[in-house]
Amino acid sequence: MKQYRPTYFIGQAFAGIWRNGVMSFASIAVLMSCLVVLGSFSLLVANIDVNLEDLGLMNQIVVFVKKETPEDGIKAMEREIKNIPYVGEVTRVTAEEALEQMKEQAGDEGYLYDMVQDDNPLLDSFILEYVDGSHYSDIMYNLGQLDGVDSIRDQRSLANTMQSLKNGIMLVFSWFLIVLFIVSVFVIINTVKLSVYSRKAEISIMRYVGATGLFIATPFVIEGALIGLTSSMLAFIVEYFLYGYVQNSMGKAIEIIRLIPLSDVSVPVFFAFAAVGVLTGVIGSTISLSKYTRN
Amino acid sequence: MIDFTDVVKTYPNGTVALNGVNLHINDGEFVFVVGASGAGKTTLMKLLLREEKATSGTITVDDTDLSKLSYFKVPYYRRKLGVVFQDFRLFPKKTAYENVAFAMQVVGTPNKKIKRRVPALLNTVSLGEKANSFPHEMSGGEQQRVALARALANNPKIIIADEPTGNIDPKMSLEIMNLLLKINKLGKTVLVVTHEKDLVDYFQQRVIMIDGGHVSDDRVGGMLE
Repeated sequence: MKQYRPTYFIGQAFAGIWRNGVMSFASIAVLMSCLVVLGSFSLLVANIDVNLEDLGLMNQIVVFVKKETPEDGIKAMEREIKNIPYVGEVTRVTAEEALEQMKEQAGDEGYLYDMVQDDNPLLDSFILEYVDGSHYSDIMYNLGQLDGVDSIRDQRSLANTMQSLKNGIMLVFSWFLIVLFIVSVFVIINTVKLSVYSRKAEISIMRYVGATGLFIATPFVIEGALIGLTSSMLAFIVEYFLYGYVQNSMGKAIEIIRLIPLSDVSVPVFFAFAAVGVLTGVIGSTISLSKYTRN
Repeated sequence: MIDFTDVVKTYPNGTVALNGVNLHINDGEFVFVVGASGAGKTTLMKLLLREEKATSGTITVDDTDLSKLSYFKVPYYRRKLGVVFQDFRLFPKKTAYENVAFAMQVVGTPNKKIKRRVPALLNTVSLGEKANSFPHEMSGGEQQRVALARALANNPKIIIADEPTGNIDPKMSLEIMNLLLKINKLGKTVLVVTHEKDLVDYFQQRVIMIDGGHVSDDRVGGMLE
C-alpha cells in the first residue's frame, strides 16, 4: 500500500520557508497588511449597516413651525398632527427649549449662544414618531398640507447619506481588495518560485525516480498555505487590537454611533482571515508551480 | 522491450537530432549506445525518459507506446526505469541511505519495506558501511554506486546509465561497469550511453552506434575505429 508521509510534506514546506527567509517574511508582511485593510473595511461596512438599522428603528420626523406662527396656530397644528393616521407620540419643542439644548450640547462654549438669546433664530418644532414605516409617505404628505410648516426633517435623509457613504466605501473597498489580492498573489508566486528554484535539482531527481506532479507540488502548496495562515494569524492580532482601540476611543467620543462588540466580530474575522490567507497562499503557489512541475 | 520505429526528433529551432532511428532491444539485454558529441545520444535518452516526445515514428517501451502516454501516466512509466547520470545527482544533504530511501518514499513505498530494502541495496553495491555517509564524504566511484543503488530502489525493468563512468577514475569505471553487468544478470535490461571506447571494447557487448541522428552500426563486440 502506498504511504505518503504528511510529516515529509510539512517538513519540506517549513524548510522552504526557512530557506527563503527574506522573501517569506516579505510575503507574510504584504499579505498581513492586505488582510488588515480587508478586515478594517469589512468591519467599517458592518458597523455602518448596524447603525443604518438603528436609524431605521428611530421612526422620527421633526416638523419645524414658521417663525411668525401665533401660539394658537401652533396648538392647532399640534392637534392636526396628532390626528394624522399612524402618528404616535408628538412632542413639542419650543424655540427657547431648542436653544437651551444647543447651549447644553456646546458645554463650555455654550455662552456663545447668549448673544442670540434675545433674537432666537431657532424655530418651534414637533418631534413625532410614526408607528408604521410603510405609511411614511402618507404621513409626509399630510404634514406637507398643514399651514404654518416651515420645513420637515427626518432620519431618512441621514440614513440615505449613510447608505451612499456605505456604497462609496464598498466601491473603493472592492477595487482596493482586488489590487491588494493581486499584489499578495504575486508576492507569494515569487516566494514559492524562489523556493522551487532552489530545489530545482531535487525536483529533477524526483521526476526521474517517478514522482507524480502532486507529490512534487504538495510541499510548495503547503508552503504557500503556511505563509497565508501565518499572515492571517498576525493580521487577526493586529485587527483585534486596532478595533479594540477604535471602539474605546469612538465609544467615548461619539455616543450616537453604536459599534459592534469585539466579542461578536472576533470569531468571524478570525475564520475569514484564515480562509482568505490560506486561499491566497494556495492560489499563489499553484500558479508558480505550473511551469516547474511539468514533466 | 524497447522499440524505436522510424523515430524522428526535430527541435523547435529546426535542429534535427534524430532522423529515422530504428532499433530493437530485447528484454534482459546489455547494450552500449555510443556516438560522437551531437550525434543524438542525449536526445535518444530524453525520448526514452519521456522528457521529450518524438516528432514522428513510434517508441514502445515494455508495451507502453510513449507517443500515446498521457501527462499523468509519465511518472508511473518512469518507475519502470532506473537512471544513473554522469554527475551522480545525489542530494548533498542526504546520507547514502537517505538518498536511496528517497527514491522509494517518492513512489509511496511503506517505511517498513524501505528499512528492509535500502540496506540490502547498499550491500549489493558494497556500500553497507557507508550508509550514513554524505556524498561529500565519498569518492566519485562510491557516489556512483549510491546512484546505482538508487536506480535499483524501485525494482525497475530497465537501467539507463548516461556516461556513468565519465566522472570517475579508470579503476572505478571497471568496477561500475562490472556492477552494471551484475545487474544485467539479475534480468534487468541495461542501456549504457558512453563514449569510452576502451570500456566498450573490454566488455564485448552489443554496441549501437548513433551518428548524424540515425543508427550507423549495431553489432556485438567493440566499437568501430
